[in-house]
Parts: sequence; structure tokens; C-alpha cells
Amino acid sequence: MSTITSRNSLVNGGTNRYEFVAGATIALSALLFALGMTALFEFVTLTDPIAGVPTVSVLGGLLVLIGIGVIGLGVSSSLELIETTPDRSAGLVAGVVFGGLWFGIGGIVAAGILGLGGAGWILPALLLGGGAFAVTTFTREDIGSTVPAGVLAILAGGVFLTGVLGPGWSYSPGSFPSDNAVTFFPSVIVPGSVLFCSLLVGWASAKAYAGFGARGRHLGAHVLIYLNALGIIAVLFGLVGFVVIKGAPTAFTEVAIGPGVGPEVSVLGLSFSLPVSWPFLMNGASVFVRVDGILPAVVGTVWLVVGAVLFAVPIAVGAAVFLAEYADEGRFTSVVEVATNGLWSTPSIVFGLFGASFLIPRFGGSKSLIAGMLTLGFMLLPLVLITSREAMLAVPDEYRDASAALGVSKWQTIRSVVLPAALPGVVTGIILGVGRIAGETAPILVTMAGGTLPAGGETVDVIGGFEFIATPPFVTNEALLQASSALPYQLYALITAGLGGPQFEDAPFTALEFAWANAFVLLTVVLSFYAIGITTRYYFRRKLNR
Amino acid sequence: MSEPSPTTETTESESTDTNDPTSTRTAATASMSGTSTTTGESEEELREEWTDYQFAGETHVAAENLDVHYGDDHALKDISIDIPSESVTALIGPSGCGKSTFLRCINRMNDRIRAAEVDGSVEVDGVEIYQDGVDLVELRKRVGMVFQQPNPFPKSIRDNVSYGPRKHGDIRTGLIDRLLGRGESDAELELVERALKRAALYDEVSDRLGDNALGLSGGQQQRLCIARALATDPDVLLMDEPASALDPIATSKIEDLITDLSEEYTVVIVTHNMQQAARISDQTAVFLTGGHLVEYDDTDKIFENPESQRVEDYISGRFG
Amino acid sequence: MNLIPRSRATDWIVDARKFVDETPTSALVALTIGTVSILSSLGLFFTASPLTSVTLLVFLVSAAYGWIRHRELTARAVTMAMTASMILILALIVVFIFVEAWPAFDVARAEVFGISVPGLRLFVQTEWAPRAAERYSLVPLIHGTVMVTLVATLVAGPLGVASALFVSEIAPAAVREVVKPGIEILAGIPSIVYGFIGFTIISPWASEQFDLVGQGTYLFVGAVVGLMALPTVVSVAEDALNSVPESMKDGSLALGTTDWQTMTTITLPAAFSGVSAAVLLGVGRAIGETMAATVMLRNSPQLPEPLYNVFYGYDTLTSAIAAQYGEATADQLSALFAAGVVLFITVMFLSIGSQLIERRMKRQLGGHE
Repeated sequence: MSTITSRNSLVNGGTNRYEFVAGATIALSALLFALGMTALFEFVTLTDPIAGVPTVSVLGGLLVLIGIGVIGLGVSSSLELIETTPDRSAGLVAGVVFGGLWFGIGGIVAAGILGLGGAGWILPALLLGGGAFAVTTFTREDIGSTVPAGVLAILAGGVFLTGVLGPGWSYSPGSFPSDNAVTFFPSVIVPGSVLFCSLLVGWASAKAYAGFGARGRHLGAHVLIYLNALGIIAVLFGLVGFVVIKGAPTAFTEVAIGPGVGPEVSVLGLSFSLPVSWPFLMNGASVFVRVDGILPAVVGTVWLVVGAVLFAVPIAVGAAVFLAEYADEGRFTSVVEVATNGLWSTPSIVFGLFGASFLIPRFGGSKSLIAGMLTLGFMLLPLVLITSREAMLAVPDEYRDASAALGVSKWQTIRSVVLPAALPGVVTGIILGVGRIAGETAPILVTMAGGTLPAGGETVDVIGGFEFIATPPFVTNEALLQASSALPYQLYALITAGLGGPQFEDAPFTALEFAWANAFVLLTVVLSFYAIGITTRYYFRRKLNR
Repeated sequence: MSEPSPTTETTESESTDTNDPTSTRTAATASMSGTSTTTGESEEELREEWTDYQFAGETHVAAENLDVHYGDDHALKDISIDIPSESVTALIGPSGCGKSTFLRCINRMNDRIRAAEVDGSVEVDGVEIYQDGVDLVELRKRVGMVFQQPNPFPKSIRDNVSYGPRKHGDIRTGLIDRLLGRGESDAELELVERALKRAALYDEVSDRLGDNALGLSGGQQQRLCIARALATDPDVLLMDEPASALDPIATSKIEDLITDLSEEYTVVIVTHNMQQAARISDQTAVFLTGGHLVEYDDTDKIFENPESQRVEDYISGRFG
Repeated sequence: MNLIPRSRATDWIVDARKFVDETPTSALVALTIGTVSILSSLGLFFTASPLTSVTLLVFLVSAAYGWIRHRELTARAVTMAMTASMILILALIVVFIFVEAWPAFDVARAEVFGISVPGLRLFVQTEWAPRAAERYSLVPLIHGTVMVTLVATLVAGPLGVASALFVSEIAPAAVREVVKPGIEILAGIPSIVYGFIGFTIISPWASEQFDLVGQGTYLFVGAVVGLMALPTVVSVAEDALNSVPESMKDGSLALGTTDWQTMTTITLPAAFSGVSAAVLLGVGRAIGETMAATVMLRNSPQLPEPLYNVFYGYDTLTSAIAAQYGEATADQLSALFAAGVVLFITVMFLSIGSQLIERRMKRQLGGHE
């Protein structure tokens, strides 16, 4: 074959100073990103000095520095001072992004700072945007991907350094009416633009570090994707940690362990004191108890989950058995599949509306525990069905064939071969599904909601509520037909009731603390289900792989 | 909703002869028969002179003291071999003996398998490819590979062939280039045509270069994959049982093609089929159970008068 | 020679007759009693009759009898009934929310070319004033939902696809073992907890930072909802990426392309349908998300000025239902059900759309295997 293809050396020689500059620019961008975050969340105030220099100026200086750095990298590559492998263009995507960015900057500067009214901002915006697009796409990649990013950083840094965005600066779009007014202050603009510029420059210098071209893009993209994954995990830990810090102290108020410290309970006529006293979980809320608690909501959630599971799991697993084992692919199964996936994505509030219009009139006409149970059961059905069916389909056909070859009947095969093999998957699906419905608020809001701060006496007693009567339906349960509280609903009720002020006159904590503790308990309950579900799945998968 | 199949990772690390999940079952049965017949394999000491093959041409690929581990599994043990340029070298041996692993060491495709650990040296064109700073892009441009299962991309035939050069920036067909009038559609077409002709596929597909490559027959797909590898202008062509998934007619076309290609390229081919190795290769390396290279010599010598008793047993079909 | 093609119906009758002939009489009786009793239970439940429990008992007895004497047949029949209940439930949801919503549609008739179109005024006028004027409009609610969903999609789409790429293609095994469950747990945090954090932390912060009148912005509700929709996008998109055969990726890498080139030119295009289905499902989740929006928004349906003002958030379809259901009566209640109907239809379209796309992808890649 004739050589149309380019040949480079098989081993890259290190060009040390260049790599050092590129590495330093990446590191500085990372530092700036972190600084921007701290400034955005107000851990650092912009006017406070860092080593005697106002934070704003430090940020500005660093921005200018990385801007110069990244342009330097691009230019030295372009002058072929170092050996790189740039493409002919940074590409259309980068062009559109940079073009759009500079279009926006042109518009904002023209309208907000130069004060060009009407359509006057469009021309400068178009000029800048078009210019940036042209520079990005029509020059070689090393220039195209560094210069627009670097100039942006230098511009932003220059603005901060010159003090244009001083403490007194603000901008509000004139076209917004006064009751819909928005004002932008440096306290958001500065960290925001620092974050953005550091991302851009970090990406561009990562490309430069790998010498542009295919490997440059690879590294640039990987930097962003790793950052994204890191960010999501950080948000997760941040959220959970925050709720724990805010809620745990209140939730653990006056917890005591020791024989006989807990409240008295009676089981089967025997009454004894629990060895644990946990007031927040074991009390209701009223002026008569010292530490208010959420016992009715905890018990309500437990019964909700029990009811939903008892209703939904047999039906869902049965349907999964039918779909995986008995049914042939046909119109019936495809309709079922569409219906199941449809139910899976039906919004929870729509389930709530359905429960309210279908179940409530048929269970005494008022919000009730059983309406909530069944509504959540309806929601649980598709969750369990989909995972169970997948677990059953994952059981190899060889197992079924082997069993059938021994003359074992279909149901026996299912019961003794398929179900045991699929059990881990089914159980995991149930646990994760329960975790999901245990935290649902919207459906129970319209089907079973109770009071805002139920007292201990309002705790639902389902077992004691059963009564047999002489007329149909022969068995009733007052407890099931009454409204009840539940953890997620109670949190909502607390929010709507207002979080200012103390809980009760002599309560040891405020309404806000009480709500945080409630959120903490709810989160703990739900995440325990998830943790158990994910761990079982992980465990069984490991076992399967071995 | 559903999770990725939990078995993918193990198949990847356990049986390197199969790089496609669909072929797991055949690999499983093959390895089973392999272990059952390996009991017929006699014990003997390895001798260095059996693998000390002298040839006239230049050495193109050279491995020295190469060891590969997959976790606890020692897949290749102390392999040293010099592969001459512009010839066909066949690697034969029973399943699981490390032939494919060795093949994948030459273009560092083993880097894809996270558990794989490579010690020792492999040189291509006299350059050590397991040192720091090796450009994998450049290496794989020079060392093309054809897989067991034909694996065309779900794109047009033309795009399949020109994929490598386009990705390496050697041919520009992007929107910007076309707008600026520096698009190279003609050059692309010419390249595609040349590569397809070289792979003896052009006549069959010349009128439907725009069709999806997945619509081709298995044999055509495999020749397309060869054309795709040739389009990046490699020096070495690695083939991992390229004909094992094909019918006899398609196989013979591929074999003719390989003989043809060896005039210009250094072809290293892993095969299960000993007749195939005898037909097309200039020299043959025999890997036997445990990841050892047992004997390496002219193909005629290996098949007519091998030094090793075990190789003779293997060749004559007593195991493997 | 049979010139008349046998219709589906005659086929069915023949099958049924064969079934009856082959099945023992006692089984047939149990089956009939079971079917009749479960159907009448359903009917009685509709009329809220206390006799429901009696027929339900009859069903249980017949099922128990069948279980003891004819296990194979009973297992099949019972599981089939359970399967059919999925369709039944969906049908019931459709019927009930439509019936409840009908009065609102009926009241809000408007004439177009002389034809009276029910419900049209819900979509053409913009004022929601249940107390003062008994006027209902879904326009502000739909606007709110669109704003929140747009922002949420901008968050969940790119970040979700990037995370899916990370989990399925880039991350080393050890990192994946942390990130993947982490993203799942993100889906596990109850929406009311997100809402609570939004209400107590984010909304006040936003109001202070942007000097807003009151609390509640579409921008930050959208961001929170996007975070909640993200795990859906990640898990479905990851499935799609994983279904691209490993051999295809090997083929590309062996030509000397980088991982990133392989991802953007082979893996993503091959999985494109699946990934877009993932984004669609994520959009569906965002549209249906209720509690975070209810708690963080202002709960007074109106349009912000200008319409693209994301810093003022009033109400969405879901939050209006959740916030107003308690005190709503008559037409207002009906209008809330109408909001539910709009929600339901939209989400159902998205669900069916994404299923069709996924099916297409399976067919395409199936041709390769």
C-alpha cells in the first residue's frame, strides 16, 4: 500500500519544560476550581484577604496566570518549539461552545456595561461569537483550543483585578418587572466565572499536556468525566453527611441503654421494660412528654411498607413467573410489558390521584391507612415485577431442561429450580423497591395523611384493630380505615406548618431541629434498605462469579 | 434497570482465546476437551534449541523472556521468539495454551484486560514496546489485528475501511474540512478501493460501498475487517483464528489472501487448524499446555520431523 | 380443501374446546368458580359492597382446592390472572383519573369554528383563580413543568451520559464498585428530603444571592430534580453501552484509536438509541417529580415575567396537585385531576417512545450477533 498515512516515532520523547508548564496549568486550574467552590458556598468571602491580598484579586491573578499559561502552551506547540500532534481543527463542537460563550459575553458586555439598548447588543455579540468560532475551528487545534479559553480567563481575571466588579457592583436585567426582579452580585458572578474558566482552561491544558490530537482529546475528555463522577459522589456524600450532622444530635437526644430504662411494652400478656430508651423514636409529640418524638410516623411507615409488600409482592412475583416461564412471546406479553413499563414511569402523584379516586370511596370515604398501603402497593408492583422477571430470565435454560428431562412437571421445575436460583435477584428487587416506596410522600399525601404532630396515643395499632362482626364483610379493622402518619409525610407536614420557632413551649428543640431529625430518621430507614439491597446483590453476584 | 451481565469480566480474564461473549460456549467445550485429552500428553523437558530458529531475513517482531499473568494464572511462561519480516508465522497449540495471549502482547491489546500483567520484552522494528512513553496509537497503526469473530462496525462499508485513517487525521472528511474545501473524499474513495482490492473484496461490494457492513456475509465481513486493518498501512498483521467462524469456501478465500499478503506484510496467525497452518505458513511455533513455547521452526520441519515428542503427539492428533 | 381461511375466533374456539376436553371436570369447575368469584369480587368492590369479602373468600377456597388437586393448572391460571392485573391496574388508572377530570374539561369548553371543544379553555387562558373567579388554567402549570424539566434535562442528560460512560467504559473496577452503588443511592434519597434541603438551604440562599422577591426558583428546583433524575439516566444508559459488543470496541482500539475516539465514534453511536431512551426516561422522571417541587416552589400558579425568567418558580403540574389537593373541592379538584391527566399522558408517551427506541436498538445490534 502506498503511504497516505503519517508516521510518527513509536516512543514519545519527553519535552520536560512543556510538560511541566502544562501540568502546572492543570494543577492551578484545579486549585482555582476548589477556591471557586469555597467562595460560592461562602466559606471564603471575596473581600477577605488571603496573605494580605483580597480574595478577588488572588482569584483574578490566578486566572490571568493560567490564561497566559494555556496560551503559551498553544503558541509554543503552534510554533513547533515542541513536538505535538495537533489536528487541523479543534472541531465543530469546541467551535460551537466557544462561539456561543463569546457570543454571550459580547451580549452581556454590550447590554450591561456599555448600555447598548434594544437590539444594539446583537452586533458586538455576533462579532465576538463569530470571531471565537472562527479562531476555534479554522485554526490548527493547538491554537483553536487554547487561545479562546486563555483569553477568556485573562479577561475574567483582568476584570477582577481592576476592581470593576467591586463590592458595590450589581446588575439586574431591565426587562424584568419589579416583582420578578433578579440582581446579580459579584458574590455569585465571581465564583461562577472562576469555576467556569478553570474548567475550560483545565480541559485545554489537559489537551496540551497530551500533545493535542487524538490523545489530547482523550485526556481532556477524561479529565472532565472523572471530575463529573467525582462531583456526583461528592454531592452524594455531602447530602447524606449534611442530613446526618443536622439531624443526628436531635434524633439521639437522651438515648439511654440499660435494663429497664425503656418504655413498658406488653407482648402476649407479658409486660416488661425495653432495655433501650430512645425518646425521639419512642414518644409521640405533645406537651405532656419532655422529648417530642415521631413514634406514630415510624409505626405508620412500618405498617405502610408491610401492607404494600403483602399486597404487591405475591402478585408481582406471580406475574413475573408467568411472563418468564409460561407465556409465549405474543400480543398479550407485549401489552403487559408496555403496561408494566408504563406503570414504572407513572408519576407517584398520579398513583396518589388514582388511590384517592378509586380506593378512598371504597374504604369508608376518608383518607385511610389501607388506601395508602394499596396505593404504594400499586407503585411497588412494576418495580418488583421487572426485577423479578429479569432474575428469572437470567436463570440458564440448561437448568430447566435438566429438570424437565427428569420428568419433573413445569410447576415443580419452577418451584424447585427456577425460583431458588432467581431468589437473590427477586429479594434484591423487593428490598430496593421497598426502599423506594418507603420514602414516597406524594401518594400518601392524598390517600392517608394524618395530622402534623401526632401524639403517642395516635399510634396506629393494626393488630389490635381487627374485629369480627356478624354481617358482611365479617371482619373489620378500625385502625386500617383511619388516617395515619408516616415519616415522609410528617416531614412534609412539618415544612408546611412552618419551621420557625420552638416545637412546643417547653420542648428541648426547635421545629427546625425536629424536622432535621425527622429527615435523618427517614433517610436512615430508606438508605438502610438500599444498603442491604445493594450489598445482597453484590454478595450474590460474587458468589455466582466464583 | 437491569445490570450488566456479571459473567463478562470473568470470560474476559479467563479465556483470552475468545474475545467475543458469543463464542464463550464454544470456548468452554473446546477447553473441556482440551483438558481431558491433555492427560494423554507425555512429560518431557523443554530444550532451548527447539525454539532456536535461524532464518535469513530480518527480524521484525522479537519477544524475549515474556511472561504474562492473569491474576494468579500464569498464562505465558518465558517466551522468547524472533519473527521474520514479510512471511507468515503460524502459532498453533491446544486451547488455553496462550497463543492468543501472545498475539495480543504484540499490539498491547492485553492492556485492555485489567488483570493482565506483562513482564519481559517485546520489540517491534527494534523498539521495545513495553517501555514508558510508547505511543499505543502509533504501535497499533503499525501492528494491525484481525479477530476471531468478524467485528465490523455498524457503519457503511466505506466508513469501516476508512475508519482508521480518518481517526488518525490522515484523511479529512469532517464538516469543517468540507466547508473549507479541503475535504478529501476522493482520496478516501481511492484508499477504500485500494484496501478492498487488496483484501480481495472489492469486486463483491464495489456497487454498494454505502451499505451497512453488518449486512455482509461472515466471510465478507472478515475480509472487510482485513481491509480495515490494511487501510491504516500496518507492517505487521496479527490474525487471531481469522477463519474459525467461517465456512470452507470463505476460509479458502481468506487463506489465499493471507499467502498473498505475506509478500508485503509480516503476518502472525493463530490457528486451531493444523492443516491450515501447514498450508499457509512459512514457520510455525507450537505452544503447549501451561503457556510454554515448545518448538519453533520451518513449517515443513515442524510438521514432518519435530524434535519434541509432545509436539509430534500434538501434530499427529494424539491430544489437543 | 378449505377455501375459507380460519379466522382467529374459530382458532380460539378450537383451542378452547381442546382445553376443555383435556382437562378434568373438577379442575374445570374450580377454574370456573375461581374466575367467576374473582370477577364478581372486582364488580362488588366497584360498588363498595361489603359482600366483596364473601366472593373473595370463595375465590380463595376455589384456588386452594385447585392448588391441592390440580397444581399445574392452578399455578398457571393464578399467575396469569396476576399478570393480567397489571393491564387492569393501568386501565383503572386511566379510567378513574379521566372520569374525575371530566367535569373540568366539561366546564372549560370553548368554541373553535363552531365546534365546542371540551377543556380547550384550560389550555388557552392563563389565569388560575379558583377562589375569586373559578377560573382554571393549566398553562402556568405546564409552563412550570416545562421550565423545571428543561433545567433538569440539562443537568441529568449530559452528566448522566458522562457518568454512564465513566461507569461502563472508563472507571477502573475498584472505582466502579464505589461510584455505581453511589449513584444508585442517590436515587434512594427520598424526594421529600431533597425538597427539605432545598427549602431550608438552597431557596433562602438563592433568594439572598439574587435579591429575589420571595422564595422559589425554577432554576434550582430544576437542578435538584435533575440530580434526582440522574440515576435513571445513568442506569439505563449504562445498560445500553454495555450491550455494545466488546469485540466491536476491540476492533476499533486495534486500529490504533484512543479510548475516547472509540467511545464517541463506535460505542456511543451503536448505543445511541438506548442512550436516548435513557434520557427520555430521565425526562419522564423529572416531569413526574413531585415533592421537591412542591416544597421549594411558591405554590401559586402564574406565569413569571419574562417567560424565561428561571429565577421565579411558581407551580408545576405535580406540585399544584400535591399542594392544593387537601383544600380543593368540586371543579378545582377536577382541574387538579386534569393536571394529572396531562401528566399521565405525557409520561406515557415518553415511556412508550423509549420502549420503541430500545426495541429498535436490540434489533439493530441483534443483527450482529
